[in-house]
Amino acid sequence: MSTESPPPLGLDIDTLAQIAWLGFFVLYMFYGQRLQIKIMLREIEGSLFRLKLMRDQGRAIAISAIKDLGNPAQDLADRVDRMLEHLTFLPVDLDPAGIIKKIEHTVDVRDFRFKDEVRLMLPEADETQVNNVTNMLEAPLVLNQIYKIVRHLYLTGKKTSSFYIILQLQMILPQVMKEAQAFARALRAFTLGQPIGDGVGALVAARLMHGKEEREIAMDTVVSEVPIEGRMAFVLKAKGPGGNVGKPGEAVRRILEEREGKIAGIILIDAAQRLEGEKPGEVMEATGVAIGGTGVEKYKVEEVATRYKVPFNAILIKESIGDVISTMRKEISDSVEDAMGRIRRIIRESTKEGDYVVIAGIGNTIGIAQ
Amino acid sequence: MSQPANAAKRISFFFIAVISVLLILSFISLYQAVETYRRTGSADPMIIALSGGAIALSSYMLLQTRRKPLKLGFEMPKVFAAVQCTSCDFTNIREFQTGDYILKEAEPCPKCNGPSFISSIYRKAEEKED
Repeated sequence: MSTESPPPLGLDIDTLAQIAWLGFFVLYMFYGQRLQIKIMLREIEGSLFRLKLMRDQGRAIAISAIKDLGNPAQDLADRVDRMLEHLTFLPVDLDPAGIIKKIEHTVDVRDFRFKDEVRLMLPEADETQVNNVTNMLEAPLVLNQIYKIVRHLYLTGKKTSSFYIILQLQMILPQVMKEAQAFARALRAFTLGQPIGDGVGALVAARLMHGKEEREIAMDTVVSEVPIEGRMAFVLKAKGPGGNVGKPGEAVRRILEEREGKIAGIILIDAAQRLEGEKPGEVMEATGVAIGGTGVEKYKVEEVATRYKVPFNAILIKESIGDVISTMRKEISDSVEDAMGRIRRIIRESTKEGDYVVIAGIGNTIGIAQ
Repeated sequence: MSQPANAAKRISFFFIAVISVLLILSFISLYQAVETYRRTGSADPMIIALSGGAIALSSYMLLQTRRKPLKLGFEMPKVFAAVQCTSCDFTNIREFQTGDYILKEAEPCPKCNGPSFISSIYRKAEEKED
């Protein structure tokens, strides 16, 4: 006879475990998506937490860097906070006629406003410091906006329990985090006035201009006349070493108009988006006007070059989004010699001795003089 | 600046509870499989594989919730300045100093005492960067 006592309620452990498993599967069947939403929200919360830290730390670094420059205004923190919340609206494009001038005006107004704010924060700062601080404040401003947009989507998704809002946010989050980290790195570079990857075009121009006399041809843009391969080159770049992108399009337009279109070619050097698999600092050649940003400067070069039938070439230096706004990588700095060699070759092959050419180094010239 | 409406938490306790339940059920299944083997002398490989898999998966998910050190991107990279002599072309690499910029006149050349300038400023990328 067996001495084992019967299980309670007549259920042995096997049956209990099977019931528990079955219960778990039934629950998962009905609440699986909710569970998935919870898991996705948890991941987003982690990223949001990091974005908040980045935003707060970025603001603190910016304020500390401004204080280090000496004698800031009393209400410094309030002024910085006001700038970080600043928004810019681009003009209406329902009637696109004349929109380029409207965009240029809007961007100029924003630029002047920011520089004025910085001058009020730092009454004793020189022009280079004003430009660097203005550039530096862009980083926490972007970090603040990224944080607020992600938080908005997160809270909306959570409030509505919308699987699709949360899914979309989760899908774009890795790219968003990568860009946020790039801006965090940019803040360090701008704080110390170090050249950034975007400035590689300006660096090429600076190396060509070195030792030559320069003049300001457009706002924050300088030009030098440099003899290259028996031709005369108008080499231009934004005025450094403060953070500046200048107005290269306006400068090219003025040079072409000054010379009534007697220019054999325009060569633009700029940083370009590196595709995955391409090496940082890889140099490529292109046809067209390689100027990023709002499109205003690109438009001006295209317009004047078309008017005078001047051919344009571009030399592109490949870099990732992270490299563009962080301190210049060695590979990118080393690519300058290659770019200069290509400029010489293009000039030799496509122009005659005695011709005039325009060479425009595009990009932010922080940490690069002329 | 305003504080966020919902303070973000790093670990969801609900998530950990679900994984823990899964882990416990998996251990019970494995125990049952072992007990059945001891009683009958034959093992059910399917139950062992499923329980083992569930234990491995839930342990992995629990490990994933561990706190990792946060790298925000504000860490200072090592930045160098190349100082080039205009007379003898000797290039001296030194660490970046505040106030340095490209084409700035720099300290005299250590080799010929000639004038020199900063020809480039760069950082060396971390190995994990592509």
